[in-house]
Amino acid sequence: MTLKPDRVRNKKSTEAATALPPVLIANNLRKTYGSREAIRGLSFSLQSGRVLGLLGPNGAGKTTTIRVLTTILKPSSGEFFVDGTGSEHAEQIRRKIGVLPEGQGFPKGVTAIEYLTYFGELYGRPAAEARKVGLEQLSELGLQNRTDSAIGTFSHGMRQRLGIARALINNPRVVFLDEPTLGLDPRGQQELLEIIRQIARQRNAGVILSSHLLSEMESVCDDVVIMNAGAIVASGTLAEVMGRAPENGALRNAARVRVRVPPESVGQAQQILKKLPAVEQASSTDRSSGWLTVTLTEKGKGAASPDGLGKNKVLEALIDAKIPIAGFETEGNRLQDVFLELTSKAIQ
Amino acid sequence: MNGPALATGSERQLPTTSPSAWWLVFKQEFTELWLGGRVLNLLILFSVLMSVTAFLLATNNEIRLLPVSQTVTIALTAAITFGLFIGIVISAESITGERERATFETLLLTPGSRSQIIAGKFLSALSPWPVTLLLSVPYLAVLSLGDPVLGRALFWGAIVGSILTIVFTGFGMLLSIWSNSSRISLAAGLLVYVLALTPAQLPAEFQATRAGAFIAATNPLEASRQFLEKTVTQDQPLAETWQYLAAPIIFIALLLGLLFFYAAPRLGLEADGAGMHWWFSRSQKVSK
Repeated sequence: MTLKPDRVRNKKSTEAATALPPVLIANNLRKTYGSREAIRGLSFSLQSGRVLGLLGPNGAGKTTTIRVLTTILKPSSGEFFVDGTGSEHAEQIRRKIGVLPEGQGFPKGVTAIEYLTYFGELYGRPAAEARKVGLEQLSELGLQNRTDSAIGTFSHGMRQRLGIARALINNPRVVFLDEPTLGLDPRGQQELLEIIRQIARQRNAGVILSSHLLSEMESVCDDVVIMNAGAIVASGTLAEVMGRAPENGALRNAARVRVRVPPESVGQAQQILKKLPAVEQASSTDRSSGWLTVTLTEKGKGAASPDGLGKNKVLEALIDAKIPIAGFETEGNRLQDVFLELTSKAIQ
Repeated sequence: MNGPALATGSERQLPTTSPSAWWLVFKQEFTELWLGGRVLNLLILFSVLMSVTAFLLATNNEIRLLPVSQTVTIALTAAITFGLFIGIVISAESITGERERATFETLLLTPGSRSQIIAGKFLSALSPWPVTLLLSVPYLAVLSLGDPVLGRALFWGAIVGSILTIVFTGFGMLLSIWSNSSRISLAAGLLVYVLALTPAQLPAEFQATRAGAFIAATNPLEASRQFLEKTVTQDQPLAETWQYLAAPIIFIALLLGLLFFYAAPRLGLEADGAGMHWWFSRSQKVSK
C-alpha cells in the first residue's frame, strides 16, 4: 500500500510524537455526580513540547476534565499521571502543573509583581527569588512596563497574560489553559496563540488548550481530543483527526465550496458559475460580504475529491473572468467540519 | 505509586524551604483586610457603637445607679459582642467572597494543603479582635472611675473575648466553606449571632427557670456573659464560676475540629463538595 505524501508526513509526525515519553497520561477517568456521568472513561496522553486541543460542545465535559486533571476535582474512578506522579498525590501534582482557569478573577488592588511574588512563594520559592522569577515572567509576556501597576487597571488581554505568567511561575511540566482567548480582540488572540506555541516549544512543556474557537485550535494544536457528552469521540494528532474527514460519509460527499469575491462582482460571478456544467447552484445570502456558496452537480461532485476538478473549474472560471478571489473554502476540510460531524453523530 | 515511564521533571523541582502556605495566606489576607479598608470601616463602626454604649452608661440616670463594676461589665460585654460581629462578618465572607470573585481556584491550585489555606484565612479573620479589645480600654477606663474592677475586666475580657471570637469566627468560616454566596453565609451567620444574643433579653423570671438555666449553660454567648457577671462584677473566685466557660470551650473544640478535620480537607471550588453534600445526599436517600 502506498500512502499519499501528506499521509506519510502525518505518520512520521505521529511516530515522532509517540517517541517522546508522555508528561501526562489519563487512564480511564470517570467523574460522576450522582447518577450523571460528567466524564466517561477518558484515556489519552500528552507529550512534552506539544499542544493538545481539548474540543467539545458546551457541556461535553472539557472543564470537568481539566478540573480533574488539575486535582480540583477527584475522579470517581480511573487514574492519571503528571510527569510520573500518580493522581493520588494531589499536592505533588499541583507543583508540576500550571493552570489558567476559565474566567479567572484577580485581586484588583494588588500590583502585578506582588501578585506573582505571592504565588511564587506559595509554590515554595523564597520571596526574593519569587519576585525575580515574577519579573522575568512579566517581561516574557510583554508586561514589563506594568509590573508595579494595580491589576485593577489592566485590560482583559493584560489580565490573561498575567494569568498565564502566574500559571508559569512554578515552571510547570504541563500547562492547562481553559478558554484563554475568550473575550480577546483578534490581535490579542493572535498574540496569545503565539505565547502558547512558545510555552510548548521553548519551555518544552505539554500544553492542554481548551477553546471554542476551532480555527485557533487548528493553527496552534499538535494533537486534538474531541469530546462529546463526557466521552472522547476522536483523538490523535491534528492531521490524524483531520484525516478522518474523507473516511466520513457525509464529509466525503460534501460538494460545496465557498468563494469570496468583491461585493460588486457577486452578480457577475454567479452568472459565470451557473453556466458551468460542474455547478448546480451559486448563491449568496449576503451580497455585501462577497461570499458565494457554490453547490457542485453530481458530475462535478464525482471529481469533487479534495483535489477535485469541479472546484478547480470554479476557480478557473472566476480567474478567466478576471474576478479577484478574496477567499476560498472547501467544506469538509476544516477542523470545524470534522468537529461538527463527529459531535453531531455522537449526539444522534 | 509509580506511573509509566514519563519525561523526567526533576530539574524543575522547586525548593520547599520558604514559609508555610498558612503564613503566606495569612499575610496576604491580613494585608487585604487591613489595607483594603474593610476592617478599618468595621472598626469605625465598632468605635461608634462603643461610644454610644459608654455615653448611655455614663449619662442614663437609671444605669448610673448601678455599681461601677456592673457598668464596666456591661460595657465589656458590649465590646465583646460588637467584636464578635466583626469576626463573623469577615469570616462569613472569607471563602464565599473568593468564590464569587473567581479567585479561589488559583489558590486551590497551589501545592499548600486545604487546611493551611483555611488556617491562614481563619487567623486573619481573628486579627481585628485584639484591636477591638485595645479600642475598648479607654471606654472601660473612663467608666471604671479608677476602680480596680478595670484590671479584672481587661484580664477576663481578653480571655472570654478570645474564646468567643474563635467560636464565632470559626462558625463564620464553616458557613463560608459550605456556601457559594456571601449573602447566604453572612445572613446565616448574623441570624445565629442574633439568636445567641437573645437569651440576655429574656425576662429574669424565665432565666431563673430550668429552661433558662439550660440556655445559659449551652449558649456560649450567654454563658460567657454570666461568667463575666460573676467573675468581674461580683468578683467571685474562678473555682465557683469556671463551669460557665464549659460551653464556650466545648464549642471551640467542636468548631475547630469540624473546621480543620472535616470541612477543610473537603474544601472545594464549590460548596456542594465541601460538607453539606453528605447531609443533603443522606436526606435525599431518607426521603426516597
